[in-house]
Amino acid sequence: MYKFVECIDAGSEYCPCHLAEKGQCIICSQLQNKVFCDCLYWKGTCIYHELLNNGNKAKKPRQYRKFDITKIDKIRDDLYLYEIKVTNYLLRELDNYGAYVFLKKPNAPDYFSTPLSIMDVDYDKLTIKILIKVHGVKTKDIIECNDKIMVKGPYWNGIQGQRFLRNLINKDVLIIGRGVAAAPGVLGSRKLNINNNNVYVMLDPGKSIQNACTEYYLKYKAEVENLSIIDYKSKKITEAFKLRINELLATKDIQVILVAGDDEFNRKIINYIYRIKKDMYFASVNNSIMCCGEGICGSCQIELSGKYIRSCKQQYNPLEYYLVEDDLE
Amino acid sequence: MKVVVIGGGWAGCAAAIQAKKCGADVVLIERTDMLLGLGNVGGIMRNNGRFTAAEELIELGADDLFRIIDKCTRHRNVEFPGHKHAYLYDVTIIEANVRRFLLDMGIKILFETRAVDVDVDNNHINAIYLHNGDKVEGDVYIETTGSTGPMGNCIRYGKGCSMCILRCPAYGPRISISQRAGIEDILGMRDDGVFGAMSGSCKLDKSSLSEDIRNELDSKGVYIIDVPKEDINTEKLKMKVCQQYALKEFAEKIILLDTGHAKLMTSYYPLEKLRKIKGFENARFIDPYAGGKANSIRYLSMAPRDDTMKVIGLDNLFVGGEKSGLFVGHTEAIVTGTLAGYNAVRHVIGLKCIELPSSLAVGDIIKFENESKKKKDGLRKRYTFAGAEYFERMKSLNLYTVDVDEIKRRVRKLLLNDMFKEKLI
Repeated sequence: MYKFVECIDAGSEYCPCHLAEKGQCIICSQLQNKVFCDCLYWKGTCIYHELLNNGNKAKKPRQYRKFDITKIDKIRDDLYLYEIKVTNYLLRELDNYGAYVFLKKPNAPDYFSTPLSIMDVDYDKLTIKILIKVHGVKTKDIIECNDKIMVKGPYWNGIQGQRFLRNLINKDVLIIGRGVAAAPGVLGSRKLNINNNNVYVMLDPGKSIQNACTEYYLKYKAEVENLSIIDYKSKKITEAFKLRINELLATKDIQVILVAGDDEFNRKIINYIYRIKKDMYFASVNNSIMCCGEGICGSCQIELSGKYIRSCKQQYNPLEYYLVEDDLE
Repeated sequence: MKVVVIGGGWAGCAAAIQAKKCGADVVLIERTDMLLGLGNVGGIMRNNGRFTAAEELIELGADDLFRIIDKCTRHRNVEFPGHKHAYLYDVTIIEANVRRFLLDMGIKILFETRAVDVDVDNNHINAIYLHNGDKVEGDVYIETTGSTGPMGNCIRYGKGCSMCILRCPAYGPRISISQRAGIEDILGMRDDGVFGAMSGSCKLDKSSLSEDIRNELDSKGVYIIDVPKEDINTEKLKMKVCQQYALKEFAEKIILLDTGHAKLMTSYYPLEKLRKIKGFENARFIDPYAGGKANSIRYLSMAPRDDTMKVIGLDNLFVGGEKSGLFVGHTEAIVTGTLAGYNAVRHVIGLKCIELPSSLAVGDIIKFENESKKKKDGLRKRYTFAGAEYFERMKSLNLYTVDVDEIKRRVRKLLLNDMFKEKLI
């Protein structure tokens, strides 16, 4: 299987970063203490050149800024939709596949930083929408914010396998999501819709009657159906889903699927569909735990074919990450 | 049977043509939107021993590219310091002519396509991965990716990216396929002991030069003027790739050759200093764009090979051009590329790969380079029919001649005339 190595920040205004400065760049061999070029992924700029031009120092990393909360919708006791007004620049940068930010309460210490995906952007109101599921101490702290909130961004690695999504034009694309993890798929369907793709969405509502993202998918002209995809008691993919997916794959020319659930969901779906259609490309939401987003802290480290990568910055092929030898069904 | 050629410079084109002539299906992968790579800014043919080599190859049956080059030639038998009977082709039209020829032959060319990795098993290459993750499978592979750049190498071993014809920022960097397949690259050195060497000439926009210079270039093909004494910089010669053009005269004089543009026979020349010279008041660089500052860095990526051009340590990878050794020049690339293309096909159909005989310059240089590279200081030298050590060797071994009939006689005596025209499949 082809292993692509891609740093989501390479070539951006945040590159070179501290990893490059310390000789641990994900992409550049010259910045991995080697003395020749063996560039792993080209995004149009030479990271080595950029570092020298910047006086051998990392570029300034993202900083927290205080923004206004314009609206809070309480969807469920543990589910909130926040609308935050940001700058034009931040909005533009967040209108990308896999965009996310870190949020925290004003004056909260940095270890309260919580990574949250952007679900939607509004250029007229200069607002971003973020779906927050209350899990633990950090999210509990955030929902105490009523008018002001600290935002650090933009970050982009919320979706893995972005290369399969980026250049799609006039294609059929499928998104399969569950619960709050389906939120980054909305922004994905916005981009896919702009490129004239037909987006089909299958949503498992999770604990709700209807998935909270449904209306946002509909806004971007996706065809949405809510159905139970995985039965979490038996840990099996439902027969209803199997029937629908086989129908869909038979009738539509789907070459890329974005899987947007938790890791168990992603693994089950990807393994099931891969065994039906071996040449399918997969993108998936990134479920790693993130604390700094800059490749430093190591909390997002995952093992990929025997090597450890920092999944907050590095892209991987979801098929490589989730595929297992045993048939999970 | 399918041959995959990676890199569409002179060596890659020669390899693709030869493999096609032998009867194979050929796919050529090219990173940029143009074939010929540095051939788009070179232009010098048949100077000194290159004349012999070109005629040998023509008699051996690999005449196709030389016919195209001759058709695009602007000046014949030009003399400049240290060099006789040079032919200068027009770099502004050569690529389109070569491209048409390859396409007409039925060679499939993937432009703006970058090979980034290999699928290798037990020293056998199964496929080449492209930048978009696609796979290209073949029975045998020929790497002619050259040794120039990319940007990081030009930074570490030179003076940074000078925006040369290879256009790495636009099309992405060259990747060493053999290295990705697990065979460590050999690195060339320059006189001052640093790795790599700097390309030896740049191009000025001819219309930025005075009418007198333009007229002389158009009529004679060459224009020479003294470098102001205070600006003579012989240190620059040590950095040069082209040792045949690293003579003292090349530091003391400005030598211009007409290849469609005005080819300035020095690695780089500060623009302010250049414009002080009579007739150069409006001069501007056309390749590299930053020719006032630097030039590209080469010879950082050679694969170990045998004299059939097969990479040592891999089953089915052949090499040509600068990838195959410290060769300088188009003729040298065409010679090594042609042999790589020929042997790649022989290898797959189970025939023994051949070496070219050392009684011909084209065979001798391949063996000589390989032997010399292993010696102390061998990595500091360059090997070309056009000058430096190898041309001296050609003369001492009586290999050098401009008598075409004599060259034909030599090839026929070996019963090798038109050998490259034979269809093998």
